[in-house]
Amino acid sequence: MRYRERVMNLSGSLLILFALLLPAASFAAEPQEIVCIQCHSAMPGKLGEPVKLWKGSIHAENGIACNACHGGDPRDAANAMSPARGFLGAPKEAAIPAFCGRCHVGVLKDYLASAHGKMLAKRGPTCVTCHSNHLVVKASLEIINEKRCSQCHSFERARLIRDAMQETEAMIVAMDKRIAAYKGQGTDTEGLEKGLFAVRNRFHTLFHNVDVGMVKKESAGIQADLKKIQDQLAALDDARQNRKLAGAGGIAAMLLLALFAHLLRKTYD
Amino acid sequence: MALFKRLIDWIDVRIGAREIVAKELTGYLLPRTINTWYSMGSILLFIFALQVVTGILLLIYYVPDADKAFKSVTYIMNQVPFGWLIRMCHAVGSNMMVLVLLFHMLSVLFMNSYKSPRELNWLTGFILFTLVQGISLTGYLLPWSQLSFWATTVATNSVSAIPVVGQYLVEFLRGGKLVGPPTLGRFFALHVALIPAGIAALVGAHLFLLQRTGVSTPPFGQKETANQWQGDGYRYESHPGGIPFFPNYALEDLRSIFIYLACFLAVVFFDPYLFFPRDAFLPANPLQTPAHIKPEWYFLANYQTLKIFPSEFLGLAVQGAGMTFLALLPFIDRSKERHPLKRPLFMVCAVGGILLWIGLTVWGHYS
Repeated sequence: MRYRERVMNLSGSLLILFALLLPAASFAAEPQEIVCIQCHSAMPGKLGEPVKLWKGSIHAENGIACNACHGGDPRDAANAMSPARGFLGAPKEAAIPAFCGRCHVGVLKDYLASAHGKMLAKRGPTCVTCHSNHLVVKASLEIINEKRCSQCHSFERARLIRDAMQETEAMIVAMDKRIAAYKGQGTDTEGLEKGLFAVRNRFHTLFHNVDVGMVKKESAGIQADLKKIQDQLAALDDARQNRKLAGAGGIAAMLLLALFAHLLRKTYD
Repeated sequence: MALFKRLIDWIDVRIGAREIVAKELTGYLLPRTINTWYSMGSILLFIFALQVVTGILLLIYYVPDADKAFKSVTYIMNQVPFGWLIRMCHAVGSNMMVLVLLFHMLSVLFMNSYKSPRELNWLTGFILFTLVQGISLTGYLLPWSQLSFWATTVATNSVSAIPVVGQYLVEFLRGGKLVGPPTLGRFFALHVALIPAGIAALVGAHLFLLQRTGVSTPPFGQKETANQWQGDGYRYESHPGGIPFFPNYALEDLRSIFIYLACFLAVVFFDPYLFFPRDAFLPANPLQTPAHIKPEWYFLANYQTLKIFPSEFLGLAVQGAGMTFLALLPFIDRSKERHPLKRPLFMVCAVGGILLWIGLTVWGHYS
């Protein structure tokens, strides 16, 4: 290592000690916005609206920005919308499933196999009909509602499907919360998360299925898989409970020892 | 027992062990009015020892590499037998050490034990306080979590407020422009080697000074509460007719340590997450800034002070002045009186200072 670097490293270490007298400061910097958002958020009407909608979407939550769907160069304002830089713009209606399906490959397959997908050529519903375009919401049973479904057909069959899936959805949501809680306590939840992710994906394939019997049968199988994850969570609960019992024993032992030391001390007065 | 006695005899004829015990333990007399607050030092020694032991155990599995640190901590927490307990004891212990150290300093402050001839005891204690803050700050980065990464970014960034050389100093601290692998290497070396060695040396100096000056008499329950030290020559403050350190006060120390352990285990087993926000269990991501980065509870007052002042440098300067004042307190406060209730101005300043610190901490927490 060169002399200058060594001096800098040593000085740096010593300065850390100095910094201890000068703790805490400044505030977390905002991550730098991409040029799409910088320009469009200042634009009025239709051109600015997508930014506001996107900010509340599941895409924004997961860090999927404009360029992930529309292409282009998000770091070069002058060429951000240049086709040469891969800018795709907005797709035509019939091309929407393929547009979204570049990432959601499995979902595209399910959709195309469904009654909805089979109607695509006849101006049937596309992804954005149910999921919205920029305010893309997380796939959940909430999407299957009377207001949305009644745009095209009666809600009867959709209601039956939703009711059949309701219990499974509730189980998945509850388990997701429990896993997140364990993760927030330093538990290695990678296996549990992967397991639930796989089950949830399997469950989501049913979202595009309109065969009530099939949905009911599949839901039962999914619930059996969820039970396995639930057992693992129950084992974690037991381990935590045992730790608390051991802790209570330790605390009681310390208090007894403190009392013993106190009484022994009194004998020397 | 005969074997034990023979062993003691064997040692005694060689190094005079019984003489040391008679002089330093059974013959070491303490004031009759000594109170429980005098046990804080022993509790701190115990905590420091526990931190060293748990720290060494963590070192067996911890990997100080930015790519592996978080995974190694996750491994300790989930795979190593009782790893979670060792880590929790170490992390909770660091917070408890600051808390008990604050109690220790407050008891010395209110009993006016920092006065002559104990200026050096106070000064070494104050340096120990800053070193304990330092070891906590450097240890904070080691798990390489979101909390570690961004809290260190915020803490090291504060130095940039120093005019002219600020930015240069930040790079010194981080080993680069941003917090990264070189920062982890530096903080690791400081946390496991340099600062512990400094703390051990200063604890030694602190105890040596205590041994040379003698234990101060609490000002409470005394007729004469003025400081009797003349300054005309070295004089050990002895306590004829006092209570022996061993076994009498050693048992009181032991009782205090067991009570501390009961409280400590209550936190470790029932609410260790008191000191761990959610970001403490997410791997560091330099590209994703968490919404609210707050320092540890004992830095919240400093954090809020920086926010109050219009200029960060002014905030730092005020804190620097405050710390310097506290460090040099025995040299500034030359009053002979030691009883706090006979010193209204002292009481107003001390209680006001504590309330200000608590107020700023609470404000910092909710801001």
